Amino acid sequence: MAVTAEQAQNARKAEKVTFWFGCNMLRHAEMIRLSILLLEKAGYDVATAGGPAYCCGTAHDQAPKAASTMAGRTVQRFNAAADTEGRSTVVTWCPSCHMHMSDIMSPGNETRFDIAHVTEMLAASADKLAPLLTVPVNRRVLLHAHAGFASTHVPVNDRVASLLGLIPGIEIVEGPAHPGHMCSALAAVPGALKKAAGESWNAAVASKCDTLATIFHSCHRELVALDGRDGIQVRNWVHLVAEAMGIEAADAYRDWRAGKAPDIAAIEKADPALYDRLIAPELKKPAPL
Amino acid sequence: MSKLATPTAATSEAFLAEAGPRLADLCTACGACFSACPMAAHIGLGEADARAVTAGLALLARGEAGPVETVTWAGACAKSGLCRDVCPEQGNGLDAMLLVRIARQKAITTTKQLGAKNDPTAFPRVKTFARMQLTDEELEKWL
Repeated sequence: MAVTAEQAQNARKAEKVTFWFGCNMLRHAEMIRLSILLLEKAGYDVATAGGPAYCCGTAHDQAPKAASTMAGRTVQRFNAAADTEGRSTVVTWCPSCHMHMSDIMSPGNETRFDIAHVTEMLAASADKLAPLLTVPVNRRVLLHAHAGFASTHVPVNDRVASLLGLIPGIEIVEGPAHPGHMCSALAAVPGALKKAAGESWNAAVASKCDTLATIFHSCHRELVALDGRDGIQVRNWVHLVAEAMGIEAADAYRDWRAGKAPDIAAIEKADPALYDRLIAPELKKPAPL
Repeated sequence: MSKLATPTAATSEAFLAEAGPRLADLCTACGACFSACPMAAHIGLGEADARAVTAGLALLARGEAGPVETVTWAGACAKSGLCRDVCPEQGNGLDAMLLVRIARQKAITTTKQLGAKNDPTAFPRVKTFARMQLTDEELEKWL
């Protein structure tokens, strides 16, 4: 359901929201920080929540009781934020979390908050954001889109196109809408991810685009390994909005996938053994094409 | 912004337990959801009998073993959501995507026809990524 200007205004009066970024966004700290910044520029007071302690449970079908417990705990934490801090809107990033909250968590738990996707909150605040987008971004951008989530919960492809459309100099090219709600959903089905990635990439080449824009983190995680191939850069939509605001839009995950070594201090902080066992293999994973 | 559902059960687990048989009762196995699914071709079921495949959904959602084609299809659900709008019983309360989701879960947990896709390294991995990138203040406040 789309956010109307009136609803956005009402939410803005309350001003306090919880930005729930999910679990796997923790690979992309800059994207979390930029989302918070954009919500704040749009007029919201943002508290941020994510990681396993705020798990929705969607990835735990094999353990329904544990998934249900995690879901209940997360709802309780959001209810507490609504009750004690007046954070009566939970703003999502991850479509899995959003769908799980809408379809499975809320029918089994009392919720004292509403839910909105970050793109609809920001698109409804175009009047506040547009004046901040002053740096021309002279890119021809193909939007990597999926049919899922957009067809059932939030018209996210349209909302991102509308946000990018506020950027001076940018050209948006509509790409194919792939199956699934994001690339991680396709990764488990042999050939499906490669097909989606190939179709997006070929469409970008055919349309003479210099940029492929991802919407979700899992798509970015897969496609960013192709960054630079055929003269095409891979950027998330928040990177492009930040670029138009004159903010340096770093992307550590992209750099690591390209072979740049993470900072030694960062590895030390995380634990070198865990880095070697859990992180390094992912960063060396072959590109989807 | 969306208003969330009024709860009909005490937990998500209880909701799924009651929703399975309820949605199964609404399904007429017309095949429309399967025919609209973009994943069917990916898993070699492009020529499968849509009615037969969808008839298995009700079995699984009730906790009974389903045909292998239904299990394979439910296991490949990527949440494209195209099944929802084409379902002729949507107006009567049938959420086809949720029915497929429940069928898949039952195929994992009850009929054991589908292997669990459990990655025990998922949470440790994201926590490690977090510690690599977040400041101490962010770790304290966000997680």
